[in-house]
Amino acid sequence: MKLPAPLAFIARRLPEAPPAFALATALNFVRSRLWPEEDFSWLKGKTVRLAILDLERGATLSFDGARFHAGSAAADVTFGASLEDYLVLMHRQEDPDTLFFQRRLMIEGDTEVGLALKNLLDATDFAPLFDLLPTPLANSLRAH
Amino acid sequence: MTRLPQLVCPAGSLPALKAAVDNGADTVYVGFKNATNARNFAGLNFTDAQLAEGIRYAQSKKREVLIAINTYAQAGRVQEWHASIDRAASLGADAVILADLGLLAYAHKTHPDLKLHLSVQGSATNFEAINLAHEAFGIRRAVLPRVLTLPQVEYVINNTPVEIETFGFGSLCVMAEGRCILSSYATGQSPNTHGVCSPAAFVRWDNQGKTMNARLNGILIDRFEDGEPAGYPTLCKGRFAVLGETYYALEEPVSLNVLAILPELIRIGVAAIKVEGRQRSPAYVAEVTRTLRAALDAAGNADFQVKPQWSTALDKVSEGHQQTLGAYSRPWK
Repeated sequence: MKLPAPLAFIARRLPEAPPAFALATALNFVRSRLWPEEDFSWLKGKTVRLAILDLERGATLSFDGARFHAGSAAADVTFGASLEDYLVLMHRQEDPDTLFFQRRLMIEGDTEVGLALKNLLDATDFAPLFDLLPTPLANSLRAH
Repeated sequence: MTRLPQLVCPAGSLPALKAAVDNGADTVYVGFKNATNARNFAGLNFTDAQLAEGIRYAQSKKREVLIAINTYAQAGRVQEWHASIDRAASLGADAVILADLGLLAYAHKTHPDLKLHLSVQGSATNFEAINLAHEAFGIRRAVLPRVLTLPQVEYVINNTPVEIETFGFGSLCVMAEGRCILSSYATGQSPNTHGVCSPAAFVRWDNQGKTMNARLNGILIDRFEDGEPAGYPTLCKGRFAVLGETYYALEEPVSLNVLAILPELIRIGVAAIKVEGRQRSPAYVAEVTRTLRAALDAAGNADFQVKPQWSTALDKVSEGHQQTLGAYSRPWK
């Protein structure tokens, strides 16, 4: 998916804090359901940035050992991809190594934290998340 | 019709295991979250609860789960490896994949009913070595390192009662399997000792404009120009300056792909064909398993031909965008 030009024009000019705040809030909300066994000790004190390269925007998140926050510090690890490729990864249509080999996904900084994050998402069973959503929306996500 | 080889697929997580089973794997191989297996990467692999669920899932569909405990027990820490073998036995694994002779002896003595496979990391490339492990520890299967030609594989099969498993697809590493300590040269850690080649903690990708530098423990091992396909950050696949020329001094990043010789592998009596890639995501496992399943099912027929869509599917997920028959096809000896 590519944003239509006018939307992309607007997206490039929007502040980053509100979507990062929404993402942190959502993560805090679903954390215990999606990752009941995971203590995230390896993420404590780390800041992660997801850069959307085609929009020159992104979201920076940090984890203080208990909760996720919208971050402002320099990232320990940064992922970079187009919006379209993030969606491809979210839907598990391609694997991240494939996109990395093809230079569509970049990672910079603390590779070990980045790899741990990638492997956590790979190992995640998203079914408990669907139970929280309205049925039609959950079904359309499950279809992927 | 000749019996088809088992399709043995990798899983680094429960969703990957389910993807392998759902897409036609006969067998899935996995590892614990520790240094006892050769894919000891951050966040990868299974907790006991996840593995119990995975084994239940696979066995309920009449598929098998193999647990790789294929690193070498380190001095003073042998208990970790013994405990992993005990856990595999109590979880009901269909077999364990071992490399270390001491661990083979322990498993054979302690769990006489547990089936044993000799790992590729055991580096047994001749039938004498395989038969010795069979006589001493009762191994049922040996995974051949990717160093033998097709006639050599056939020669091994004809001289052993042990089932032979060969690699069918996946990233290829330098041809010294089970004996490679290149990673230790730069990081102090390598597959046999720490279960990991080029550990992520030592890897840095730094981007300068559109150029990407790969560093392993600070050592520049490769530089990718804009649009140039990237590979894993291993020393064997790096480009180095040798006598004023910079090139792949050891090997290029490539993937093994045996689709073209599947009928030959079946004819010579290979018992199982293995897909590399426990470090990859469920999307890779699904794609490769589906493709190999279709190809294997067709390979028993006299008019077998590699379908273009299989090649396209495997091309896409390959490291280095190049595929090779590796050592299987080698005119020289």
